[in-house]
Amino acid sequence: MDDRGGGKLRFFDCNMRLGRAGVVRPEHILDAAGLLGEMDYAGLDSALVYHAFSQEWDAGGGNAKLLEEIGDCGRFYPCFVPLPHATHEMPSLAEFGADLKRRHGAARLYPKAHSYSLQDWCAGEMLDVLEALRLPVLIELAQTDWDELAGVLAAHPRLPVIVLATSYRVNRYLYPLWEKFDNLYLETATFQIMRGIEDVCRRFGPQRLVFGTGLPLLDAGGPLAQVTYAELPVAHKRMIAGETLAELLGLEHWGGAA
Amino acid sequence: MIARDFREALQLGEILRDEFIVDAHAHMDTWYNFHIPEQGTPASMVHAMDLVGIDVTIAAPHICIGPDYRQGNRDVCAAAQQYPGRIVPFVTINPNYPVEEIRAEIEHWETHGGIAGFKFHPACHLADACHANYYPVFEYCQERELPILSHNWTGAPVNGKDTLHGLAEAFPRVTFIVGHAASGWPVIDLNCAIARLYPNVMLDTTGSGLTFDALPEMARRIGAERIIWGTDNPFIDPRPGLGRVLMARISDDEKRLILGLNAQRVFKL
Repeated sequence: MDDRGGGKLRFFDCNMRLGRAGVVRPEHILDAAGLLGEMDYAGLDSALVYHAFSQEWDAGGGNAKLLEEIGDCGRFYPCFVPLPHATHEMPSLAEFGADLKRRHGAARLYPKAHSYSLQDWCAGEMLDVLEALRLPVLIELAQTDWDELAGVLAAHPRLPVIVLATSYRVNRYLYPLWEKFDNLYLETATFQIMRGIEDVCRRFGPQRLVFGTGLPLLDAGGPLAQVTYAELPVAHKRMIAGETLAELLGLEHWGGAA
Repeated sequence: MIARDFREALQLGEILRDEFIVDAHAHMDTWYNFHIPEQGTPASMVHAMDLVGIDVTIAAPHICIGPDYRQGNRDVCAAAQQYPGRIVPFVTINPNYPVEEIRAEIEHWETHGGIAGFKFHPACHLADACHANYYPVFEYCQERELPILSHNWTGAPVNGKDTLHGLAEAFPRVTFIVGHAASGWPVIDLNCAIARLYPNVMLDTTGSGLTFDALPEMARRIGAERIIWGTDNPFIDPRPGLGRVLMARISDDEKRLILGLNAQRVFKL
């Protein structure tokens, strides 16, 4: 154990997919038992999971399937996919939000894939409900753009927004947003710019970063190394590894020590 | 090492001080397209190396793959003098310049410190990897059994699909290292198929796309002794790529080959 250590960190993965999907490979893990096995192998304690059905078939149907497949496993937390209110494809947003809050879950949005706008004329009612409940919203960068994201952050200042699947080329967009908005968070997995994690922590604080892997599509080892080998105090590593996400989900007793 | 194996070392954040780790695909300095913390200076690169125990980095500065390969070759030579044994220069060639200039550049480095290997960037230079002006490099490497790392040898945006087949056959004593060969299954499938045909082709793991379970599958198809580790530092932090290897479902001995011993052999370090 080197001097930056302090034992194994507990990891809470904000970005994990469950279920059968349209495009898979033999090595892809599709079921909850398989994901748990991979979490054990990698050393991940908990995961916020969404169901591929919600993304690729039917948002509500996928959310129900997610609950069915994760069962009562205490290591999984549900990441439901909502839709804007106007087409009435889901139960009332108030019920949706209350249910998700009870489950310590979060919402994952697919505006491009699901063909809607994140602007308030379209998604405002949905985002208002999520904001009122402080439910974290996760969104892949490819599902939006920086201007749209800035609009959401400005219009919904108490809505925690976790941006997923970015890249090493994003600082010129990210940093001005972080100068203006406290409700923006970044998944670490694909934020791979050299010493970017330390740079973000120095400029904006470790509370901006949330650990994620992208399992089962991406390897967990890379994202883990970004945190375990970070040149940061252990307390900051714990925040990134899981404490910040747990706090956003309202999990008071998750804890960051192994 | 205190951890039981490399995977546990990763989980503990333990630096592998007893292992020989070589980053065989790196750059240096700033780049127009995005912000690099600490400007990607040689000092910042060495600091990033020390955080995970990388012994040697083989580098081609960004200016090499951009506007001035000759300036970059001199910059990385200066960095190598500043950090002897830690930074080793690639000699980068841009075939868009006259062949006489390219021959002179090779001769210059032949007499000023020697050449560990060459770097091509067909994508940035928009020049096919079998461009006629690269031939002095192929001939030089064939004579001295040196490696050439190319960002890509085959495919988009400029290379023909059969480029590497022809080169690997024509220059069997050159080690052709395929950059970014583990970044997605279409790329992996293509490059593993080529590597199985030519023993002088090696595949480099550099890249931001940490495709699930790719490394064990590549090792199964072509053998760990044909895989070489790189990071793109300071484009990309060394830690994600290192973690990918340390976590992979392959033996620690295979990880040792990938992380350093293969590069030590190929670059004669």
